[in-house]
Amino acid sequence: MNLIFIPIVLPIIAALALLLMCEKTKYLKELLAIGTSAVALLAAANIFLLPVQAVSYAWLGTGITFTLRADNLSAFLLLAVSLFSLAISVYSFSNPNKGPAKWFFFNLLMTQGFAAGAALADNLLAMLFFWEGLLVFLYTFIALSQTTYAAKRTAMKAFLINGVTDLCLLAGITITAYIAGTMSMSEIAQNKLTLDYGWSMFAYVLLLIGAVSKAGAFPFHTWIPDAATDSSAAFMAYVPAAIDKLLGIYFLARASIYLFTLNGTMQLVLMTLGAVTILVAVMMAFVQKDYKRLLSYHAVSQTGYMILGIGTLNPIGIAGGLFHMINHATYKSCLFMTAGSVERQTGSSDLSKLGGLWSAMPVTVLCFVIAAAAISGIAPLNGFFSKELVYKGTLDTGYTIFFLAAELGSFLTLASFLKLGHAVFFGERPENLKETKEAPFSMLLPMLTLAGICVAFGFGARLPTNWFISPALAGMNIPHPLLSGFHPDKLYFVSVIVILAAVANHMIGLAIGGGKPSKSSDHIHYAPVLKETYAMAERRVFDLYEVLMDRAVPAVSLALFKADRFFDWAIDAAPSRLSGFFGGTSRRFHNGSYPLYMALTLACAAVYILLAGGLK
Amino acid sequence: MDLPVKMLTMAVAVPVFGAFLVPFAARISTPVRNALAVLLGLFTFLAAASLFTTVLGGQTSTWMLSFPRGFDLILHADLLSVFMASVSAFVSLIILIYSLDYISHYEGQTEYYAMVVLFLGSMMGLVFSANLLWMYVFWEMTGFCSWRLVGFFRSDKDVAKANKTILVTVFGALCMLVGIIMVYFHYGTLDLRALHGQPISLLAAAFILAGILSKSATLPFSTWLPDAGVAPSTVTSLLHAAVLVKIGVYAYARIFGVTFAAPDAFSNAVLYIAGASALVSAGAALIETDIKRIIAYSTVSQIAFIFLGLASGNKTAFVGALLYILMHSIAKGGLFLCAGIIEQNTHTKDITRMGGLFASMPLTGVAFALCSLSVMGIPPFGGFFSKYLVFSGAAQNGNLVVLLMFLAGAVMTLLYLVRLFYKIFLGEPAGHDCPKEGSYTMVASVLALAVIGLALGFLIYYPSAYAELLTNTLGVNLQ
Repeated sequence: MNLIFIPIVLPIIAALALLLMCEKTKYLKELLAIGTSAVALLAAANIFLLPVQAVSYAWLGTGITFTLRADNLSAFLLLAVSLFSLAISVYSFSNPNKGPAKWFFFNLLMTQGFAAGAALADNLLAMLFFWEGLLVFLYTFIALSQTTYAAKRTAMKAFLINGVTDLCLLAGITITAYIAGTMSMSEIAQNKLTLDYGWSMFAYVLLLIGAVSKAGAFPFHTWIPDAATDSSAAFMAYVPAAIDKLLGIYFLARASIYLFTLNGTMQLVLMTLGAVTILVAVMMAFVQKDYKRLLSYHAVSQTGYMILGIGTLNPIGIAGGLFHMINHATYKSCLFMTAGSVERQTGSSDLSKLGGLWSAMPVTVLCFVIAAAAISGIAPLNGFFSKELVYKGTLDTGYTIFFLAAELGSFLTLASFLKLGHAVFFGERPENLKETKEAPFSMLLPMLTLAGICVAFGFGARLPTNWFISPALAGMNIPHPLLSGFHPDKLYFVSVIVILAAVANHMIGLAIGGGKPSKSSDHIHYAPVLKETYAMAERRVFDLYEVLMDRAVPAVSLALFKADRFFDWAIDAAPSRLSGFFGGTSRRFHNGSYPLYMALTLACAAVYILLAGGLK
Repeated sequence: MDLPVKMLTMAVAVPVFGAFLVPFAARISTPVRNALAVLLGLFTFLAAASLFTTVLGGQTSTWMLSFPRGFDLILHADLLSVFMASVSAFVSLIILIYSLDYISHYEGQTEYYAMVVLFLGSMMGLVFSANLLWMYVFWEMTGFCSWRLVGFFRSDKDVAKANKTILVTVFGALCMLVGIIMVYFHYGTLDLRALHGQPISLLAAAFILAGILSKSATLPFSTWLPDAGVAPSTVTSLLHAAVLVKIGVYAYARIFGVTFAAPDAFSNAVLYIAGASALVSAGAALIETDIKRIIAYSTVSQIAFIFLGLASGNKTAFVGALLYILMHSIAKGGLFLCAGIIEQNTHTKDITRMGGLFASMPLTGVAFALCSLSVMGIPPFGGFFSKYLVFSGAAQNGNLVVLLMFLAGAVMTLLYLVRLFYKIFLGEPAGHDCPKEGSYTMVASVLALAVIGLALGFLIYYPSAYAELLTNTLGVNLQ
């Protein structure tokens, strides 16, 4: 058996085996999941280091094959997926907030297997098969993580948003495959498609919708903040923070660089989408009062940087986008893990109820500080380097406005993490948290590992760029840019200014908020105009899903229902009334009067003769 | 007579004549009657399935009974008819097994079993007939059985709905008869094998189409189907989901897919009708609150996808449509049978009075979810592949408006099925006393259908290879 099957098949088999296990067994399920992810990670590392043969089977009739191919980008993605699966399995070993262990690990392993399949598939239909298959587990993941009705509703929201955009992806793939004449991505890439005519433009836009929705970009992101409150931290650290981002940005890069040659208009569309996502989500993140919800908005906002990077269409920007993808998964997963361990140890994720935990949870604080510094783009951590690449790529396109938007996003990111860190770990510790202890080792280990990666990829940024990013770009036939190295150039000084501005902003916020860190965003939250906007956002006026489900769907379906009732009338009530009318009319003539019958007969004969004669 | 021909004749004759033995068996005892009915169903399925070996070997088998003036009764087993007969007989068999418990508290069981078996026999006759006139005869026989079965409960309302069913379908069938007569006067024969590849006039095609649309519950003749939801759930499952509504689709595939070369304008018109049907019924499914009416509207909507595949005029879409017939029969049959369990145990069909049933009916809930996923076309379920192929064919057809209509239809499918599942199984309980799970036989039947839907997704190679072989061998005028 080819090694390429192991990362896909093994987790799925293990997940099915889990279903057979009794819920009461202790640690067996956890150990099985950890063991499976570890083996899958080893297999993935093997595939990454020693390229394996592509495999291909006849699948759907004779025309469509099932092809798995591990090129540089796919192998890199597979490695990342496997790494995060292992990290989350270990992290969830003794985390009671994840819902029933059996179902948690079932969903986790299934998600891992399907995500690995989506990463490795070369055939577009095979990719769609795995990609859309994730929907089921997304739903069960959220629905089973808590017993509340809110969890079920959020699960439905996540399912529907992703289901609809997956259908767009399906339609996009059918058209792409038809235009290209093949379903194999590597074959399409030999002869890239252009956006010269309507159908290919339509196909690309559909693919784009599928990709950015999976990545959680504006306006398809709205289930993520809801899931932050209605599901577990482990789920958030795994799916929206890691797996979805990896797959979404992976396919965005594939579609935008590998399958299609984009034009200037589409470049502008992508960059605008990226900038809008950065700003809208970070504005929302800044004013959040819940640990996980705040992080979830950042998970959306950071997607904007990746889309912006890839949207630049120049090698440096694309490299930055891909590098940011892996960096973001690392620190955001780590941040959600810190949220999970704080929640486990204190029982709360509400910022106003937390504080001063640094002495009680020193390791968690350390991880948080590293990851928060990384997401805020502070040198020399990994986030700094990938953001610099994105900025450089953006400036190279000549659209300075996007650069400014991205820097503004950085400013707000840092400001909100100052607020978050200050509120949770520093300041005064509430009375009821005096007894708080550090999280167990099984939770600290993956956190430390990911924080370590943040540091390693920062100080040694040459390592990931040379090992992962450059080969991936080379695999997509993109000229090799100079990526690594720390340059104290203008961009570096801009980042220092952004840091100073964010610190100043935090000071102002604290002064206005009466020294309470959880209120340090109020000066912006309740500023004129913004106050009303935020209030509308709280009422979900800008949530596309809620607006559509509340307004458009009922109205449209009612109109269609009326149409259905009209057809029902046309085949039911109308014919019976018509026949009733003729029946009633003809009954009046059946009164037994012989002269009337004779008169009718003669009249009809006359009409017939006239008509017959007239027709001749 | 060699074995395949024997099997072919018996697949039709055994259920048709066996149905009349059911009342006599009932005289002996209830278990004998039930056993006879299930055995007849089982035999029919096995006989139909045994023909796979013949047709896969590239052969066909034919049996003929001569009548004057070209009205011969011709039974012909080819790739399409064996496929259709096996799928129908299989689902009917599951429904018969499920009925053993479901129907056991009602009156009129003997007639019920006789009619279901007769229906199955007529279906076999219709599918295997290679003569349009005999197709019409069996067509009306299925209509008669459905009339008796829809009005099973015999209240005024039930009878009115049953009358609506038969009046609409007979009206369509008479239109079709006019079309058949036009074909007869044009070609002097009704033998479909002789008519292979011939052109057909637009008017005759339109008349035949009216019959097809009325039987398959497509706009503008769609609303008899949700109304027929007053029948027992087994009947709705048999009629709405698995078998009866597929008659029209089968006739379309048989007449316009593998026999006549239909004019392009005709195929285009069918695409638009189907698109409108998909949208209108999906909208209605979102408004309705009666569980069976919702699933029935869903059937109307899904049938439109099959028409999309059949009328798109290329091989990909045709293969997709054939797979769609298979996947939809299995999944939608399962959904109706789940609805039967729910209806029987909650004593209501109103979804606003359900909610939170997953806690007390987990197995039914899982089966319902799996079948819904297959209908929605989510991988790894079989429905994914059929939906993909149909969309792929529509994209090849190059009609953007039709593609968008069906994309919207697919989105609405997601919406109404997710809503339905949420309202029944998750949502907040609405004042019911936590009904119990269905009986062993019933739950096993629905789980079997759900698991088959999943298995078909993993083993998609075999059905798709069959459908492709069928399309390549028999398809007419496909690109």
